Formats: sequence, structure tokens, C-alpha cells
Amino acid sequence: MRMLTRLGGPARHLFFAALALLMAFPFYWMATSALKTNDEIWRTPPTLWPEVPLWGNFAAAWNEAPFARYMGNSIVVATSIVILQIINSGMMAYALTHMKFRLKGLFAGIILFGYMVPATAVYLPGYLVLSELHLLNSYAGLILSNCVSIFSIFLIRQAFLQVSHELVEAGEVDGASHMRILWTVLVPVTRSSFAVLALITFIEQYNNYFWPMLITKDPDLQLVSAGLRSFFVEGGAYGLQWPLIMAASAFTIAPLLLVFLLAQKTIMQSVNMTAGASKG
Amino acid sequence: MTRSKVVNGLKPVLFTLPAMVPFVLFWLAPLLYVLYLSFTEWDFMSPEKTFVGLQNYLDLFSNPAFYKALRVTVLFCAGSVLPIILLGLGLALLMNRKLKGSSLYQVLLFSPWVTPTVAVSIVWSWIYEPEVGLANTVLDFLGLEQIGWLQDPKWALIGVLLVTIWKSVGWAMIFYLVALRNVPSDLLEAGELDGASAAQKFFRITLPLISPTTLFLFVVQLIQALQAYDQINVLTQGGPSGSTRTLLYLYYQSAFESFQIGEASSVAVVLIVICMLLSVFSFGVSKRTTHYQ
Repeated sequence: MRMLTRLGGPARHLFFAALALLMAFPFYWMATSALKTNDEIWRTPPTLWPEVPLWGNFAAAWNEAPFARYMGNSIVVATSIVILQIINSGMMAYALTHMKFRLKGLFAGIILFGYMVPATAVYLPGYLVLSELHLLNSYAGLILSNCVSIFSIFLIRQAFLQVSHELVEAGEVDGASHMRILWTVLVPVTRSSFAVLALITFIEQYNNYFWPMLITKDPDLQLVSAGLRSFFVEGGAYGLQWPLIMAASAFTIAPLLLVFLLAQKTIMQSVNMTAGASKG
Repeated sequence: MTRSKVVNGLKPVLFTLPAMVPFVLFWLAPLLYVLYLSFTEWDFMSPEKTFVGLQNYLDLFSNPAFYKALRVTVLFCAGSVLPIILLGLGLALLMNRKLKGSSLYQVLLFSPWVTPTVAVSIVWSWIYEPEVGLANTVLDFLGLEQIGWLQDPKWALIGVLLVTIWKSVGWAMIFYLVALRNVPSDLLEAGELDGASAAQKFFRITLPLISPTTLFLFVVQLIQALQAYDQINVLTQGGPSGSTRTLLYLYYQSAFESFQIGEASSVAVVLIVICMLLSVFSFGVSKRTTHYQ
């Protein structure tokens, strides 16, 4: 490896170009497989580009299962969760950083404790709790059960810690309420952290599979991952209709790659903040 | 106390409620509930939960399936965390020296991380297709023997691990790039003046300075590995013959496929204890050995 570094620019370019191609190749393979006929896709050796690209495969896959509905569900649920997390993480972080109260240590401790518990390990009892609350099979259940994120609270807390307390005091002197100070003074100066929260949470929730799949049995409520997975398994799709399965995977993945390309700066920036939040 | 003082004292608590109520309801309560369930026997249907004390744990610890799942879990953790960290660091080191156009490489290497695990696992299951899949075609082209990537118990875990590593390695690389950029260059220059070799500079200066990042990635990836579900569910469903059944997958199967709630809960408690021990351990390590700037 050090030899590569010594070799300098061209060799490293060659190395990274090859690696990047290799890493991105599954996406290319997905897209071209989606355009092939069922005959061509089973041919050996495989063709790198379809003889006659069947663009109609995308429409066929789209109509084969209610993908519009699945994607709509994912977008609605993820957006609602983002909004709720902005509100409750903002308020919680404000209380933890700029307010004084007796139970502060206890609350901070409970949340730190939550950081150590793997979410998936409490899916079974969580399912039973949702069932007691009659929230299984509902949008409310999907949204409320995911509406708190310890990561988000830590992220915003970290941002608020950097804001001088004098700013808050100045607001208090002016007679502004805490709510007003939070949303008109603190949030604007820490908006890049909120942007990171929104993007990371949206991606995570849009992609979410295990938990939403457990708590919704109604196909109308399925998020896109679960919908894609049932399309993959059911409908005689297994092994028979690989082009359609690849087409469906492609339009599931495409919006995320697009969001990533548009917001890559913010998403990459999240790395900085995540590392910071974990230290605090 | 006057009324306004009481109101003022309550205000901070009110600010915490929007987060604390769902947190207690969907996190803390389930946690206590699973602990209780692990001491009972229940099949989901019957109205009564029978208290059985430690029986579930005794059964679990004498069950070969548990030890097999524990072994798979350890292999899965080691086989995903170590390559992700080492490759991420290696790539970041290579990229750290000025390289024009490296942001394009960064985007491409990072992109798998944002995509849904279920969708990319489906794509990989097509790549792993035994007869005409890309993976076996390449092996064939290289004159190597074809592999039952997801069908052969010897290879299935490796197949799942490759997808896991592919998805996260770019993410780890970005973390290391940020950390490397924060290593003060005057320290490295001072090392150079003292005649330190490249290896000495790396092991004595760079590596200790980026150790908080290493620890962070280690803990996050480990907890993710312990919770891996989506790719296993799509690619192998824990098979063939349990070769990819981790503790989490065992937990899921005994809860939602065989409805042995008590036994499943005891697996969950074991998982939680493992995670907490790891967190406490890493916290201790970070206090003792990592170098904050």
C-alpha cells in the first residue's frame, strides 16, 4: 500500500478508479439486468449491455405491485418522523443544555443507557406494547414508535452546547419564552445540525425494513423495503422474473442515490457531527 | 412556593416530555417487559404467562443451537467489523495525500451506504445466482471452481459478509478521512525532523491521534453487526443449516416463527447484556487509552 502512495498520482488514480467501478458495479448490473429479456438474462456468458434494452420492464414491474403506494407510505412515514424528531430532539436538547432542573442528570442517564440497548433486541416486547395500545397495523404506530432517536438528541445537544448561554439569557431578558428562544434563536444558528438530522433520519426511515415489517401485516401499509421484499418472494417472481425484480430494485434505490447526489455535502458532513456527538 | 415558581420549575420537564414519553413507552417499558418475559413461558395465544424462573436461561445455555448461533454471531462480528475498519483506514490513508478528483471516488465508494439494505441484498442475490450469476461467471472466467455462494454452508456467511462490508466500507473511509485531516501536520513534520520513518510516524503519531475514530467505528459497527437482520433475511434466512443464523436471527425466529416468547426473550436479554458490556468496555478503553486532542 505504501508503495502505491509512493507511486503517486497516476497509480493511485488507477487504483481508485478500478475500486470505484467495482463498488458501483452492482448498481450497473442491476440497471442492465432490468433491461434484458428473460431469455437474455439466463445466457452465459452474460451480456454487458442488453441487445435490445426493454425500457418497458420498469413500467411492467411498477404495475405488477402497488409500488406507488409503498413509496408513498415510506415518504409519508419518514417525513412525519423527521418532523417529530426535529421537535422533540430540539426541545429535549434545549432542556438538557440551557435549562436547570433537578431530574436533568437522571434523564441524561436514562438516555445514555438507551444508547447501549440494541433496538432490535426490544422488538418483541415493543410489538406487544404496540398491540396493547392498538397501534399495530396503523400509520400512527409506524410513526410514533420511531419518533424518538437517541442519536438525534445527542446530535442536537452537541450543537446546542456550542451556542453561548448568553444568547439564551439575552432572549430571557427581552422577555421571550423558552419556546421562542429555542425556535428563533438556537435553531437558526444550528441549522446545519438539523439538516443532518433530517437527511440521515429520512434515509434511515425510508429504508427501514425489520420493525415496520413486524408491526404491519396489512399490505396497504407496507413501506417500500417490505413491499419490494414481498414482490421478490411472492408473485412467482423467485428466479423466474429477474429482469422485473431488478427493475423494481432499481426504482427503489434510485430516489436515494438521487437524494445522496443532491445533498452529498450535508450527508458527508454528518460524519463530522456523528463523531462529535458520540464524544459528548 | 408561588404558582409562577411551580410553573417555572415544571417548564424544563415539559420540554423533555415530547421525547421522554415515547422513549419510555417504546424503549424503556419494552426493555423491562422483555426481562420479565424471559422468566415466563408463553406462546402468544394463551391468556396466562407461567412464571418459570431461570428455566429459559438454563434451557438456552444447554441448547446446542444457542452455541451455534453465538459462534455465527462472533464470526459475523469479526468478519464484518475488522475488514470494514482496516479497509476504511487503508483507503483513507491512500486518499489522504492530495489526489485530484478524489471527491468523485468518495461519492462512489460511499453510495452503497445510503441505499436500502433489502434492495441491494436482492441485487446481490442475483449476483450470487449459482448458474449464471455474475460472481460465478467471474470465477469461471478466472478458471476457478464455482461456489454455492448462498447455498453452501461453508460459503454462505462469507456471501452475507461481503454484502455487509461492501455497504459500509466507504462510510468508514469518510470517517477516517475526516480524522486524518485533523492530525496536525506540524506534529508529523516534527517527527520527520527527528528522523522518524514513515512507519514510525504512522504508528507513533497518526494511529494514536485517530484512535477515538477507531473506537467509535468499532463500537458502532459491532452494535450494527449484532443487530444485522435485513441482509440475512433476504439472502439466506439464517440458512443453509443455520450457517448464517446469528443470535438476533435466532431470537426473531423463536419469537415470530415458533412463538416461544419466553425462550426468545432470554435470547434478547443475552444480546442486551452483550451490548451493554461492550459499551461499558469501550467507554473504559476510551477513558484510559485514547488520545483526545
